[in-house]
Amino acid sequence: MSPRARGILATLAALALAPGALAVLRAMPAFGDHPLPYGDAVNRIAPAERIVSNMVTAVNFDLRGFDTLGEEVMLLAAVVGTVVVLRGSRGEGVGDRPATCGDRPIPPRSEAVVLLCRIIAPLTLLYGLYVVLHAQLTPGGGFQGGAIIGSGLLLVWVGEGYNAWRRLVPGVVLHALEGGGAGLYALMGFGAMLTGAAFLTNVLPLGEWGSILSGGVIPVVNFGVGLAVSGAFGMLFLEFLEETREPKDGEEP
Amino acid sequence: MTPLLAGLLLLVAATGAGVVLTRQPRRQVMAMAANGLALTVLFTALQAPDVAFSQLVVGTAAVPLLFLAVLASIRLHRPEEKE
Repeated sequence: MSPRARGILATLAALALAPGALAVLRAMPAFGDHPLPYGDAVNRIAPAERIVSNMVTAVNFDLRGFDTLGEEVMLLAAVVGTVVVLRGSRGEGVGDRPATCGDRPIPPRSEAVVLLCRIIAPLTLLYGLYVVLHAQLTPGGGFQGGAIIGSGLLLVWVGEGYNAWRRLVPGVVLHALEGGGAGLYALMGFGAMLTGAAFLTNVLPLGEWGSILSGGVIPVVNFGVGLAVSGAFGMLFLEFLEETREPKDGEEP
Repeated sequence: MTPLLAGLLLLVAATGAGVVLTRQPRRQVMAMAANGLALTVLFTALQAPDVAFSQLVVGTAAVPLLFLAVLASIRLHRPEEKE
């Protein structure tokens, strides 16, 4: 199809869809309007019954905690799938050893980059941990904090180089974080069922308002998600970066 | 809608158009990261810090890195496929 014909077809399609799009636009609620009662109900229930001040965390880890387990398993399955596909194509004999760059020259990092990464990487990792631990109090949560920790791991890679990064962040540790975090979430959820209660019933004391330990089970399952997400990001980065390199001679089975 | 939000929405539209109009893959990755950063600022202005955190890390660090790794991998493995 020539570009001209495609342009005519696109114009015709836009004209045909325009009335419907306009009707939807006119029926939309005003910008910033929230006509549904759900948000107000959460704002009323969560601080009173769970002693948490971050409503997003209250929704994710309590009101719809079972859905979050599903999302957690989705992430686990996606990362495991990526690892199986990528590592499978490299062969099982490679193990946890980092591949080399072959004959390609590695451009040296400037000292400014190394210095900057050595300052920022620990701060980023610490901030990620802070976001994970304060999920029920301030904005953020297990996923966000885990993702920040994951990007902190990347800064370690940029600052220290690939081989040092692989020594500092071993693959097995990332696997343990991912599996252990998801396992912790499932254990807290199904563990509550052993006492005869429903899935993820808040069995722990709720604590004081504003305390890092408030919310009962919420900080525990949130910590599990934080571990799992940081492990997942680390594993994804590791497997993708490994793809840009070549295994040493004789290592491929 | 405040002028700040209107400006940020325009910024998101402009950076999004930048992603579409960039033809060279490596530059497109950077354009996508710029779009992710604009979205992060928009989410922050809309008082959604939780989403902004995720968008910042996923949109400006994780996804661009994965794309760059894939592009590097394609360039690395292309000669072998030609043989």
